[in-house]
Amino acid sequence: MVNAIYIIVAALGAAFLLGLLKSEKRGTAYVITLFALSVMTWISAGWVWAFVMERAAPVDFLTGGTSPPFSINFRMGLPEAVLTLLASLTGLLSALYMKDVLCALGQRAMAVLLVAVMALTGIILTRDLFNLFVFFELAIISTAGLMLLSEDARALAAGFKYLIVSQMLSVFFLIGIIFAYHATGTLNIDGMATASLGLKAGGAIAFFFLFIAVVAELKPFPANGWGLDIYESAHPGFAAIFSAATSSAVIYAVDKLLLIGGAEWLPMATGIGVITFLAANLFALPQTNDRRLLGYSSIAQTGLILAVLGQRDILGDNVLYIAGGLLLSHAIAKAGLNWISGLVAGRELPDWAALRSRPILVFAFVTFIAMLSGLPPFPGFYAKWEMVRILAGEGRIALIGLILLGLLIEAGYLFRWFGYIIKREVPAQSVRCSPFQISAIFVALASGWALGFVWGELSNQYFGHDNLLLAIPVVFALTFLLLDWLPAWVKNSIAIVGLSLFFYLTFSDYDPLRMIFAIIFLIGGAVILLASYDSKGRRIGFYPATMLMFAGLILLIRATDTFGFFAAWELLTIGSYFLILRGKHSEPHALSYIIFSLGGAFLILAGFALAAQGAPLFNIDALAQLTQPLAPWVFLLLAIGFMTKTAAIGLHIWLPGAHSEAETDVSPMVSGILLKAGLFGLIVLLMTMGKQQLYGVELTYVMLWIGALSALLGNLMAIFQEDAKRLLAYSSIGQMGYALFGLALMNHLGWLMALMFVINHYIYKSMLFLSAGGVAKRTGTRDMYRMGGLITLMPLSFIATLIGIIAVSGVPPLSGFGGRWIFYNAIISSEYRLPMVIIFLAGPIAFLYLFRLIHTIFLGQLKDEYRKIKEAPFWFILPQMIYVALLLAFAVAPGVALRRVDTYLNQIFPGGGLQWTGTEISSAYGYWNPVAIMIIIAVIFGTLFAWLLFVNRKAQKVKQFNIVYAAERPYRPETTHFAWNFFAPYRKALGFLVQPFATRFWDGVTNTLHTAADISRRLYNGNGQSYAFHLLSFVVIAYLMRMGA
Amino acid sequence: MTYIALATGFLLILIGFYGALTNRNLLRMIVAFTIANSGINVVIIAIGYMHGRTAPILDATVSAADALTRVIDPVPQVLVLTAIVIGVGVAALMLVFAYKLYERKGTLDISKFAELKW
Repeated sequence: MVNAIYIIVAALGAAFLLGLLKSEKRGTAYVITLFALSVMTWISAGWVWAFVMERAAPVDFLTGGTSPPFSINFRMGLPEAVLTLLASLTGLLSALYMKDVLCALGQRAMAVLLVAVMALTGIILTRDLFNLFVFFELAIISTAGLMLLSEDARALAAGFKYLIVSQMLSVFFLIGIIFAYHATGTLNIDGMATASLGLKAGGAIAFFFLFIAVVAELKPFPANGWGLDIYESAHPGFAAIFSAATSSAVIYAVDKLLLIGGAEWLPMATGIGVITFLAANLFALPQTNDRRLLGYSSIAQTGLILAVLGQRDILGDNVLYIAGGLLLSHAIAKAGLNWISGLVAGRELPDWAALRSRPILVFAFVTFIAMLSGLPPFPGFYAKWEMVRILAGEGRIALIGLILLGLLIEAGYLFRWFGYIIKREVPAQSVRCSPFQISAIFVALASGWALGFVWGELSNQYFGHDNLLLAIPVVFALTFLLLDWLPAWVKNSIAIVGLSLFFYLTFSDYDPLRMIFAIIFLIGGAVILLASYDSKGRRIGFYPATMLMFAGLILLIRATDTFGFFAAWELLTIGSYFLILRGKHSEPHALSYIIFSLGGAFLILAGFALAAQGAPLFNIDALAQLTQPLAPWVFLLLAIGFMTKTAAIGLHIWLPGAHSEAETDVSPMVSGILLKAGLFGLIVLLMTMGKQQLYGVELTYVMLWIGALSALLGNLMAIFQEDAKRLLAYSSIGQMGYALFGLALMNHLGWLMALMFVINHYIYKSMLFLSAGGVAKRTGTRDMYRMGGLITLMPLSFIATLIGIIAVSGVPPLSGFGGRWIFYNAIISSEYRLPMVIIFLAGPIAFLYLFRLIHTIFLGQLKDEYRKIKEAPFWFILPQMIYVALLLAFAVAPGVALRRVDTYLNQIFPGGGLQWTGTEISSAYGYWNPVAIMIIIAVIFGTLFAWLLFVNRKAQKVKQFNIVYAAERPYRPETTHFAWNFFAPYRKALGFLVQPFATRFWDGVTNTLHTAADISRRLYNGNGQSYAFHLLSFVVIAYLMRMGA
Repeated sequence: MTYIALATGFLLILIGFYGALTNRNLLRMIVAFTIANSGINVVIIAIGYMHGRTAPILDATVSAADALTRVIDPVPQVLVLTAIVIGVGVAALMLVFAYKLYERKGTLDISKFAELKW
């Protein structure tokens, strides 16, 4: 392997060479610069190869012909190799990216760039303290020099502020060095570590100054105003280096220093890190400038990594895997985002909508923010999982809470930004970029995915988890990224075949309970996708998102350990987020969906981590073996997490907007299918953990109440809606309430009923969303009072809606009745009276809103403008008719699905099941014969219908404008339309129940965060002197805390 | 003697910091930092000084054999040399920035360069 010193030699040599060139020879100078950076990259890459592939041992390179401490030594190990590769590659790509500005400024600028990268590799390689200082100073000087590359005139001031701060830091650094040297007699880092500096007289103070001087370079809160200014005003090409390479190098320097300081300094690193992480993320919330936002995010990420380094005592060797995963994710993502920012003309976040003209850039953006938020399949995800697992195993719960909170806030502003890109108006100035610039971004993109694969492999190797990028459903979903150029119908066919085929290949794997979910997810998904044939064109981005959601869903029921389960959960969350965001007006709703979902996911993560108690692989079934006092807490975390997905009352505010604003074929997917993921989670939870008590409170009893209230309030809110899809969305809250209630009953019939709800809700909610969507597509509105009289124009939609509401309302003869019947049996046998009464009340309320779907949309007077509309498109009607058939079939023979489940449930709740004899089903309280009911109803209906036809045989048909018809003028303003505010009297009576308390509460939370952040960030008043003062206060406070502790 | 040097060094550092924090003029701030830098150099030298020994130069009076007992530790002095060079470099760079900032706004008041904030 090439001596690592040549990395430095290459840069220095080239920089000198540049000085010798005439100033006209800029092209030559540029080529030399690129060549030098390539050599540095190549040497580092060679070392990475040697360490990874050939398992080489770390090597020390000596200078001056003697060994340390009499000379400086450089060490090349795996971390050093990866980091030097990162630094030099970032330098190389940024040099490509900044071709124009570098060539305009000439070879001096190029030399400074080379020195900057060289200084960073030096910081990484050296094992000598004073040498470290020298490289630091070089990095500072070159950074200040590179600030001059920026077109932004304010960069000058930022550079000066940086110099002020670094002057103070170098004083601290030198004090630390000289006293540490005095105490140990060596400048070698390893030598100082062996000499245990901390134990020597004055050693602790010496180390404090060293430590603080290096940590302050990481821009810790509150001494980081200067860093933000640099991020905001630097040339994006340089900001990429500053964010990706400088931070990484300095973090590694901190890591080396901690070697000297030992375990007692770790809590301080964690403390500074986590405070910085939280504060920077919080302050980023009200940011509108893109580059400053990236700066806040960079500071936050380095804070997080510092906090992880501080947990070295319990993370042990895993620290490389965890901190490395976070660091590389951060570096790649930030380099990429900074490079993209240079292509966008405007500096406000919504200006980034310009990226839409280049889908590859949107894909790059979303990859980068997923990497930053720690989402699968990127390294940050694996790192997050292992970190939380180990921290929970050691009982560092508060730290987990703070880290997850910070991550949630970060995901919040990053996804809000993504929403702007997808939904805001494309600005006039489009994206302008050279091929060099695109290729830099492309390299970052590719390395992000490659590292995702690498971390997956490592995770497989060390912890026995599956590599997510090798899971067939995920691969299938990602394939659609490559197929996105195909027309939508081709992709749709591939998707349908893929889902069905996967079911065909795996259906023997599932137990009856999982089988229900597998059928709904795979076959049910395929049926809904039929409706997607209606879309024309290419529908860019739809299929990768959809299939990612389905991949998550199917992996969820196939997961056996908690890691697989959680990974699947996040995958389905991201996929569905992209789907929901596609709706025309869904920007805010998709955001609240992703925030609630990620919040829920983090609770699940914490729950699983707590349950595992540090074990790398934890089987889901092992949840059953948990004992007090841990078990109820795990239960609580998981239950709240799952209930975010089922939109239990209080956590429901994301659902109405997300479901109703989604595209026509997406609404049934996210409502009919996706909600079941939450129920599946709850089923798994209750099946393994059963009843749990926390401080004497039966937690399932609390769930019972939540279920009952969700049913009541969900239904109540539904009746006051004017928008048909919104009505259906609220109805889902109620329906999920029923299912939750059934599960929480914790008896055989309750569960049977919940599973029946799972099936029924899938069928009728998908069907109703499709028919409402079809009507909305034809009429151009979703407001029901604007419709009316569509029965003759859209008869098939009418039939589907009619069958649907009969099924939902639970009247005979359809399957909803079966659900009700089991339900009543279930609650009769349980002792919970009050929630039972509430859930009874919720039933009739459902009639009120369901009735409106028929009454207001299909009956009444036809509006003038709709006189010529046609039936909904064929591809919408087809799945609806399939559902009608299914509902009828399920109504006649519920046993096909339920009987096996009933038997299966005997394993969990022995006894209390149903008797299945022929077509008759009986319980302890009575019997139900679906076939007989169907026949009876058919006979009664047939007779009455025939009678009606007979008595009306001579009746005169009254057309709309016949004078006989007097009750309603066919054309009126909405406010006087009879169907507008239809249930006003009920609103008067019950309106207090549907006040948006939950919405107000969550709004209050976000507003408080925003306001607090907006006020606190004024700390950074832009004055260099204030920043110097912040730094000094930071040092003093850190000193007092350290010495006080 | 060592203590006097040490104390002077730290005093200079404090004077430097005080000056940098209280003077708004860019040039005065730069001067303040040079004072602080001198202070740290004095501190380093003071730490490296060993009573009763001579300069670490091997010549006729000090042979290589007895250098270990007769000369002071050369390392801190080397460090100071490097630190001085770096200090000069940074000071020069700061002066360039001050010059450019003055060119832009016609003032040397640091509080006038606060467009980047929050």
